[in-house]
Amino acid sequence: MVDLGQTVLGVEFQNPILLASGCCGYGEEYAGLIALDELGGLVTKAVTREPRIGNPPPRVSETPAGMINAIGLANVGLERFRREKLPWLRENLRRAYVLVNVAGWTVEDFVHVVRGLDDAEGFLAYELDASCPNVERGAEFATDEALLGQLVRSVRAATQRPIVVKLSPQVPDIGRFAEICETEGADGVSTINTFPGLLIDVERRRPIIGNVTGGISGPAIRPMGVYATWCAARRVRIPVIGIGGISGAADALEYMLAGAPLVQIGTALFVDPEVVCQTLEGLRAYGERHGVHRLADLVGALEA
Amino acid sequence: MEFAAPEIAGQAIPGQFVMIGLGLPGEPGLFLPRPMSIAQAEGERLGLLIRIFGAGSRRLTALEVGERALLLGPLGSFFDLGSATRVLCVAGGVGLAPFLFLPRWAERHAPGNRVHLVYGERTASAVFDPGRIHELAGVEPEIWTEDGAMGRMGRVTDRLDVARVDLVLGCGPVPMLKTLQAQIAGTGVPAQFSVEERMGCGVGTCVGCVVAVEDGGRGWRYERICVEGPVFSAERLRWSI
Repeated sequence: MVDLGQTVLGVEFQNPILLASGCCGYGEEYAGLIALDELGGLVTKAVTREPRIGNPPPRVSETPAGMINAIGLANVGLERFRREKLPWLRENLRRAYVLVNVAGWTVEDFVHVVRGLDDAEGFLAYELDASCPNVERGAEFATDEALLGQLVRSVRAATQRPIVVKLSPQVPDIGRFAEICETEGADGVSTINTFPGLLIDVERRRPIIGNVTGGISGPAIRPMGVYATWCAARRVRIPVIGIGGISGAADALEYMLAGAPLVQIGTALFVDPEVVCQTLEGLRAYGERHGVHRLADLVGALEA
Repeated sequence: MEFAAPEIAGQAIPGQFVMIGLGLPGEPGLFLPRPMSIAQAEGERLGLLIRIFGAGSRRLTALEVGERALLLGPLGSFFDLGSATRVLCVAGGVGLAPFLFLPRWAERHAPGNRVHLVYGERTASAVFDPGRIHELAGVEPEIWTEDGAMGRMGRVTDRLDVARVDLVLGCGPVPMLKTLQAQIAGTGVPAQFSVEERMGCGVGTCVGCVVAVEDGGRGWRYERICVEGPVFSAERLRWSI
């Protein structure tokens, strides 16, 4: 037997596989297709202070080995999330942990959402979306050292729950940003959010995406995600959660070897929801093949 | 194209769709699955009408007998015939797909319907074989082409008479549906349109495929085409804002 468990953020995750924010809604939408409680956990769609209708369509399109999206943080808002979505997660996810992704435009926005949720049940931690590329100034927090420090410090003062900060790949030295998160009291960082991109319909000479630009995800960005994870993990002691283009066990293992005890699967869910089961099976098979009894032993075990 | 997909075929209702792709890791030009309206569901066989627009549809249509595709469905809302007995189906281009399925399905599930199918294409060369339409759908299509080389010359909406129908169903390009919507408005004839958009997940999680619809008396809101649609009551559609 291979033990897939990971002790992170003060709890034991039954395995390292989480579903990424924005790719699994509020859980409920995938309940008929994915055995959610078999997961390590999931990260909800971003929750903002007020409901948001999001960007004009088209919002998604295929790109080489991936996709572009500009949803624009469409979400039900703090109040409805707490009233309608969180109870479902609390009832249906008993072993898998829930991280609530929080987005905002000011430090006060983030603090407001965190305070508004903090005494509710049904989730473990926050993932602060400091890096959404699809709304104006969305990635500002994760590309400005002083702002990021202020954000983490303020949210830290507002909650005892673990805080994970989702970082942008759009910085010259992501390790520096991970260090700031650690210094200011974050419990983890997740790397990476999507890369900004632009897809053009040359026949019409127009952008394909309604928002003009979007975020690129999928296998195309995996090597950059692994790199960012490796850079961040070498600089901080807090856990780094790997994200970007994971489509199976080998991809997840790349992130783990680079230093991530947990990983998130996103875009690949759209291609085949069974990717989750296949990844878990693949991780067990890898452990057996390599005589690794505890998958946790592989975290950061890259020989370079 | 036909696929052996008994579970989907057994549950499908006209207007619903499937997500079809090649699964992981995907191939160049076909990573994300594509939404396709169900064009036939007979026994274990699921039929899709796929027109080549780009690399993804080209790859799908190149699938050979014995190859596998990944299908998820049936998904989304469907045409609701209610108590209608005289149904007018208006199809533009590949929007023909659900109407290859609907007439025979209606015969089985809501007998007594009379379905009239109006189908338009830009050019005669694009027209799906009328004999095959008759064979699959069991109705004789009224064909329109803009070049006039087959059927009547012009667009499906040019001479539309909704005076003697109980229900209009539409599927096709947005300009066609907008014209249809304007023609029907005020006649009191209910209409339902199947709309399309680029999709990510097909099941409501990514919120990637939205269309603006009337929101009661409160203006408009976006609804997901994959879950609240793809079939919407025509009067609710506000398209893009």
